[in-house]
This record gives sequence, C-alpha cells and structure tokens, in this order.
Amino acid sequence: MRRTVTIERTFKDTTPEEVWELWTTAEGIESWWGPDGFKVKVEKLELRPGGALLYVMIAVDADKVAFMKSAGMPVSVETRAYFTEVTPPRRLAFTHIVNFVPGVEPYETATIVELHGHGDETHLVLTLEVMHDEEWTQRAVSGWENELGKLAKAIAAR
Amino acid sequence: MHSTAHADLFDALADPMRRRIVDLLRAGEQPVNDIVAELDIHQSGVSRHLRILNDAGFVRVRADGPRRLYQLRAEPFRELDDWISGYRRLWEGRLDRLAEELERRKKARANRREKT
Repeated sequence: MRRTVTIERTFKDTTPEEVWELWTTAEGIESWWGPDGFKVKVEKLELRPGGALLYVMIAVDADKVAFMKSAGMPVSVETRAYFTEVTPPRRLAFTHIVNFVPGVEPYETATIVELHGHGDETHLVLTLEVMHDEEWTQRAVSGWENELGKLAKAIAAR
Repeated sequence: MHSTAHADLFDALADPMRRRIVDLLRAGEQPVNDIVAELDIHQSGVSRHLRILNDAGFVRVRADGPRRLYQLRAEPFRELDDWISGYRRLWEGRLDRLAEELERRKKARANRREKT
C-alpha cells in the first residue's frame, strides 16, 4: 500500500460499528461530510466494491456561495466516487473522481479508512492518495510530503 | 491551481537521479562540475536532468565566468506543499465534524435513556 498523507484520530465512547455507520449510510455521511459552509446530499450509495457513491455538495454559507461564484464554480457540485473495498466495520476504501475544478483535468484521489476498536475508543487511520496516475504518486510523493513545506521555507530563507 | 502543472512538477521529481540533484542543491548553490563529480554519471546526463528541473521551475541557473551555477527555487516546493496540505485540511475539518456528530449521537442516546 502506498502511503501519502495519513491522518489519525481517536474517538472516545464509541465503537467501530457506530463510526462505520457514519461513513457508509446516506444519513451518516450527510451529518458530517461538509466541508465547512457546505451541506451534502447523498444521491446514490451502493455499498460494495465497484459500487457508486454520488453526492451533491451545496454551498450554504453566504461567503462560500460568493467564493464559488467568484471562482467560476457552480454553487452546487455533484461529486462521484466509487467504493473499492468494503469490509465492515474495519476497512473502507473509495476513489473520488475530481472533475469539477475549472481549468483542471480530471484526476482521482483514493481514500482508505481503517477503524480499530480499543475498549470504549475507536481509532481511525485515514490514508489519502492523491493521484494523476499511479506511478508518479508512488515514486514522487512518498517520502516527500512531510518535507515539502520545510524545504520551501528553507529555500526561501536563504 | 492547475493539476496538469502539478503533474509536471511530480514528473520532474519522479526520477531518482533528479531527486539526488535536488538533495545536493539543498546545501546551496553548486556549479555543474561539482554535481557531475558527486553523481558519477556523464555530464550530458546531468545537463539533461538539470534542464528538466529548470523547465519545471525547480532550479535557476546563473553564469559566473565560464561556470554555470545552479540553485533551488522555493516556489514549486511551496506549490506542492500547499496542494497536499489542502487535502489534509479538508479531511482534518471533516474528522472534526465527525467527532461532533458522534458526540451529538451520544447525547441523544443519553437523553432517550433519561426519558424511559
């Protein structure tokens, strides 16, 4: 597994089953997916490998609406993803097709969610792979992502 | 920000020899001859890699008499960092809201228990 960006969180007083439900049901996803200033309406959710996840992100905050308009982006954006792995309540993977940014060619991002229960806590490991094609992600990003910011600062400071 | 531009940046860094050149230049400006000596490959190969890095904006070159000196530019690294950070921020924000939603559900469960 190629690891690019990894984010970990521990949620208290919950179970992997409960967190799984928030990731894999329309109602669950709509309750938190966001981003901030957006609400999400799930239109299609086929929870199986190869199954579609279709949702609409709608800007609701006035400043987000203004931003989207000024950036030439529609106020509501349909987003397409498909599941690649569904192993309840432990492991979920899906791939997004990013095709809605003006001037940007379509590309895919893969997201892997792993849930581990420890007593009354649930530990979540989120792995993001941002890819134009698999090869450059594997060869170029891995090992660099944590250093890029520092490197840019170090160069700029010279 | 254009993803095609990012693809070019990543392509430029995808080659292990070019990453070695970038690593060498992190120590500061270097003449081509020093880079050739360090890498132990033919000068024409080094020149080709430097040209690709230059085209992608990773290095700038200046002449000092007969010598050509290369140094790194910050901009492409910052651009790549911003781009990757954007994904991280998006998901950090989402996970904050996921935690809030779990909290709301817990409170709702507690309220139901109190009522019964």
